Formats: sequence, structure tokens, C-alpha cells
Amino acid sequence: MGWVNDMALPRSFKRALWVFHIATGSCNGCDIEIVAALTPRYDVERFGIMLTGTPRHADVLLITGPVTRPMLPRLKRIYEQTPDPKAVVVVGGCGSTSGVFYESYNVVGPVDEVIPVDVYVPGCPARPEAIIDGVVKAVAKLETLEKSGVSG
Amino acid sequence: MNGLTSGFGAWNPIAWALLFVGILVVSFIVRSRGNKSYKRGSGQTKVFLSGNEEPADADALHVRGDHLYWGMVDGLSAYYRRVKAWHTGIFSDYVAWFVGVLAVVFVILVWVG
Repeated sequence: MGWVNDMALPRSFKRALWVFHIATGSCNGCDIEIVAALTPRYDVERFGIMLTGTPRHADVLLITGPVTRPMLPRLKRIYEQTPDPKAVVVVGGCGSTSGVFYESYNVVGPVDEVIPVDVYVPGCPARPEAIIDGVVKAVAKLETLEKSGVSG
Repeated sequence: MNGLTSGFGAWNPIAWALLFVGILVVSFIVRSRGNKSYKRGSGQTKVFLSGNEEPADADALHVRGDHLYWGMVDGLSAYYRRVKAWHTGIFSDYVAWFVGVLAVVFVILVWVG
């Protein structure tokens, strides 16, 4: 896979990157693409990128969908529970801009109206390559934070 | 080092003590490499319950082992209510039950047998 080498993964990865996935109101289109990134065709786990079951172990929050009202306090709480340094990646058009749910009665808004976002991965749904690229960009952000000694 | 050899293996206190210390050292090294950057008193030290707030009554979320048998216990709840009342935890009550059941068995054996 040439595009993997283009992203300079071996150079950037000093350790395994654990990712916590949150669906804040997604139609599950982007969620399925995240799962596709884990399948043998893309197999991100060989690079150490792994989905974890708790934000307490996560380096990156991968968020899909616009933020619905029931998910608002939960998203805030999960963000607070993630240890520093952390990076937030929004996957898909809905999380980035609310997409087709823009100004919907039960949608608070895009993710960046609730928590700070580091990387946007556009698409409806976003392709697995784009999701992996977004996570790699989050790695760069994390390394910058670690070098500067900032803990979040 | 002299040790005691038995059918179950060798017992050498010094060797086992050294092994124990070695495991402690390795555990300490692994622990010391953990992430120390979390903020005490913040949400980072709170329990993760799928994003839900931790309820004041933590027992409400406690899933006990006997919850696996909930269906059976609920289905036989009428029986269990009665039987539980008999389980007083007082030894003399249990002895009385034993003597009583023994007397009934004895009477049956004598009359029927």
C-alpha cells in the first residue's frame, strides 16, 4: 500500500495509538467505515492503532455524527475522562458541520461547538483511507503536545 | 542452594523469595512507566460508565453474580420467600428442623415399614 508509506507511519509512531470511538448521533455510515479500517483490507491494528473500550485508555477520540441533545453531557463527560495529551478527530460531514441535520430540533450542533476538535475528516461517509489519514494527523498533534510538555 | 524435593516439585525458600522480589521489581517498573499526566480530582479519575453520570447509589449499578439466576429466582419467588423465612441463621433452629424431620422419617419407617 503506497499511501501508507506516504503517510510516514513508521517514523511517526513511537508507540501504539489507542482510539476511543463515540457516535454522538451518527447514522452509522461513518461508524461502518471505521470498522472497515479495522478489517484485513486496511488492518490499522498492524500499525498499533487500536480501538479501546474506555476513554481512560485512549489517546484519540474518534467522533461521528452531529451532537444530539441526549449525547451532549455524555460527550463532555467522555472528553473530560480522557487523559492528556489527547486529540479529537471528527469523522464525517455531520460531525464537522451537522450536515443534513443542520439546525435540527434535537441537534445541538457540530462537535466543535461542544469540545475542541483537532482534525476534521470530511465525507458522507468518510472513506477508511481518509479516517486513517485523520488519525495519523492526530498523532502529529499528540507528538507536538508531548514535545512541548503540554498535558492537554 | 539446598531445597526440599517432593513429589510436587522443589521447595527452596531463598529461590522463591528471590523470584518474589524479581516479580515485585518487574511490577514496579511496569507501574512506573504508566501515564502520570492525569489530573487528580478531574473527570480523568472518575469511573467510565459509557458517558453516563455515576449515580449517588453506586449499588444500583452493581451487577452481582446471582443476577445470572434472576429468571429462576423470580419465577420461584413465592417458594423462596417462604424458605428464606425459615433460614434464621440460628443453629438451634436448624437442629430443631433436623430433629423434627428425623422424627417424621422415623414415624413413617415404623408405621409404613
